Amino acid sequence: MTCHPEAPALDPEAPIVLVGNPNVGKSALFGALTGRYVEVSNFPGTTVEVSAGRAGDIPILDTPGVNSLYPRSDDERVTRNILLARPPRAVVQVADARNLRRSLLLTLQLAEFDLPFILDLNMADEARAQGITVDTARLAQVLGASIVETVATRKQGVDALRARLEVAQPIGYRIHYDGAIEAALARLAVLLPSEPAGARAVALMILAGDADMLARYGGKHTPALQQIVAETAAGYSQPLNYVIAQQRSRCVDCLLGQVAHTSRRGGAAWAEQFGRLAVHPLWGWPILAAVLFGMYMFVGRLGAGVMVNWMEGVLFKQWLLPVATRLAGYIPVPLVVEALVGPYGVISMALSYGIAIVMPIVLTFFFAFSILEDSGYLPRLAVMLDRPFKAMGLNGKAVLPMVLGLGCDTMATLTTRILETRKERVMVTLLLALGVPCSAQLGVLLGMVALLPPSAIAVWGAVVVVTMFVVGWLAARLLPGQRADFILELPPIRMPQLGNIVIKTVARLEWYLKEVLPLFVLGTFILLALDKTGALNLLEQWAAPLVVNGLGLPPQTTGAFIIGFLRRDYGAAGLFTLARSGALDAGQLVVSLVVITLFVPCIANVMVIAKEHGWKTTAWVVAFIFPFAFGVGVVLNLALHALGITFA
Amino acid sequence: MICPLCGFEYDETALDCHAACPMAQGCAIVCCPNCGYQSVDESKSALAKLLRRLLKPAPPSASRSKNNEPS
Ligand SMILES: Nc1nc2c(ncn2[C@@H]2O[C@H](COP(=O)(O)OP(=O)(O)OP(=O)(O)O)[C@@H](O)[C@H]2O)c(=O)[nH]1
Ligand SMILES: [Mg+2]
Ligand SMILES: [Zn+2]
Repeated sequence: MTCHPEAPALDPEAPIVLVGNPNVGKSALFGALTGRYVEVSNFPGTTVEVSAGRAGDIPILDTPGVNSLYPRSDDERVTRNILLARPPRAVVQVADARNLRRSLLLTLQLAEFDLPFILDLNMADEARAQGITVDTARLAQVLGASIVETVATRKQGVDALRARLEVAQPIGYRIHYDGAIEAALARLAVLLPSEPAGARAVALMILAGDADMLARYGGKHTPALQQIVAETAAGYSQPLNYVIAQQRSRCVDCLLGQVAHTSRRGGAAWAEQFGRLAVHPLWGWPILAAVLFGMYMFVGRLGAGVMVNWMEGVLFKQWLLPVATRLAGYIPVPLVVEALVGPYGVISMALSYGIAIVMPIVLTFFFAFSILEDSGYLPRLAVMLDRPFKAMGLNGKAVLPMVLGLGCDTMATLTTRILETRKERVMVTLLLALGVPCSAQLGVLLGMVALLPPSAIAVWGAVVVVTMFVVGWLAARLLPGQRADFILELPPIRMPQLGNIVIKTVARLEWYLKEVLPLFVLGTFILLALDKTGALNLLEQWAAPLVVNGLGLPPQTTGAFIIGFLRRDYGAAGLFTLARSGALDAGQLVVSLVVITLFVPCIANVMVIAKEHGWKTTAWVVAFIFPFAFGVGVVLNLALHALGITFA
Repeated sequence: MICPLCGFEYDETALDCHAACPMAQGCAIVCCPNCGYQSVDESKSALAKLLRRLLKPAPPSASRSKNNEPS
């Protein structure tokens, strides 16, 4: 069986191993090669254990789909161990031709195992149908590997694959990691057993923190190996496995850049032109301004204006509430009636704020946002916004994705784990809680501010922008070496598809309502309880020096601030309702919205901070944020009065 | 999925945060490991699934999926 003269005596039982991302057709190919049926289904993760078969007299293994050979799951561990256990005759990577990037991420990991290799671009039929073409000759050349195209389900290309198996060679392409990592690999190599294959992969896994590998290959050198890993890790602000993955991902981009592959059907000329102008140092700005103005009109005027007027003024006030009130009249317990339709009732307050005020605003906001995403403009917007950050030496990467995305602080708090010292972690957590609003909440606040005169919008906008810059500034000091561009590739501009937009919007709206409505109901009960026990009155009196004298607001706003502790957008809805009823003028609305904007985003965030940093730290964070928020409000109120600005 | 902001491709089922978050049960937010951009996992939205079915009727060939039993 040795067609390979220089190869050492080949183990006749050395198998051919099929490896690949989930749901790419490994099992279908296995069936085509062996004639044996294994379960094939269009559901990632169908193959959970290895199945063995034979093509002629060569053993073949089908493995579970993996996205990485640096195992995070048992499936990935199983597949990785097969590659290391008994050197296979050859590895066939089954790849989805429609998704070259994801496939190549795995290919470059496989290259480090240094095993005879063939890349099989499967699903060639679907790729063709979608207008995706890959220059395979060029890819084979830059990758230094043998490539075939197949349609496993119809056995197309399978013979060609079989023929190539005999002469498979290890991948020629090698990733060169940065100096520190290469140096560490060299030091590790000295201490590790020099396996015929896979030594580099093993060293990289140990560097990435794989305890299994260390236990298996470390032997008596384990402490020395750990020492090298620790020394290397000390040079980076992020964990080594992340650093390695990132550098590998950059290599994939570089490879893709060298291989012509059209991943979407030819874009129109206007789209290409527009895409270029959108990041132009000069023309990019008017385009950005036009997009923001469009969003402002859509969210502010249509959502917060027309739609809220109808939902709240007509649907709730004229139809739903009268009906609910009449129905509730049949309930004999007055407290229950009040809990439903009283001033602090579930229907009259929680639902009417949640459904009639907040929902139209987030609906239009999410819709507008989905258009930005689906059209491919969003990354360009980030590129434009990142420029002033860069110019000022700030860290836009730390702020922009969070403001642009859903920006849920709960999650952002968790990402502070990558920071090294406790001080840094607490600082960033504090800043996130203070400065970067969750964008759904930002949308709600934006929609409410949009009804004010432009000068008032500018005041609120300035507060948001200044906090963002402060976060960016601190992040730049705390997270060195993170200022690299964070946009990996700009997708082509295309006409947004209504179907995609509607689905995205609906998914977000569902998420949002599920998240907020329970808290809205809870907040209403708290207010009702405070009101019934007389505590609300006391609190209003007690807070009067701050709320009435300091902020210049009517005492009823105290209730809005109380529910604002649960969620900022709930508090904002309360303020907005007061303003609509004429209890707050434009200046007072700006002051109160600024205060709410600086609040902790939501109670869930507080709980996560507590879980990550302990209750004592949380108490400090909270004890800082609320006085700070009110302090800024007082200063703003005094300044507006001193300057005689009324926004009238 | 592919991050709509930075173009980074990641496995949304293997996000670390989902293991760490006290509210991970049914958490529908996914967060790009490269840039931190967060979006909602559409596959976790019942309404989006329903709409998708309404907008795009299932392809005529039912033969592609034989067994949808997860692991
Ligand atoms: N059109 C087309 N469909 C294919 C091709 N190869 C596989 N499929 C289909 O893709 C789906 C996934 O195939 P599987 O063979 O189960 O994929 P797998 O890689 O084994 O998946 P896991 O074991 O779950 O990781 C099935 O519905 C197959 O029928 C192909 O070349 N063309
Ligand atoms: Mg399979
Ligand atoms: Zn991203």
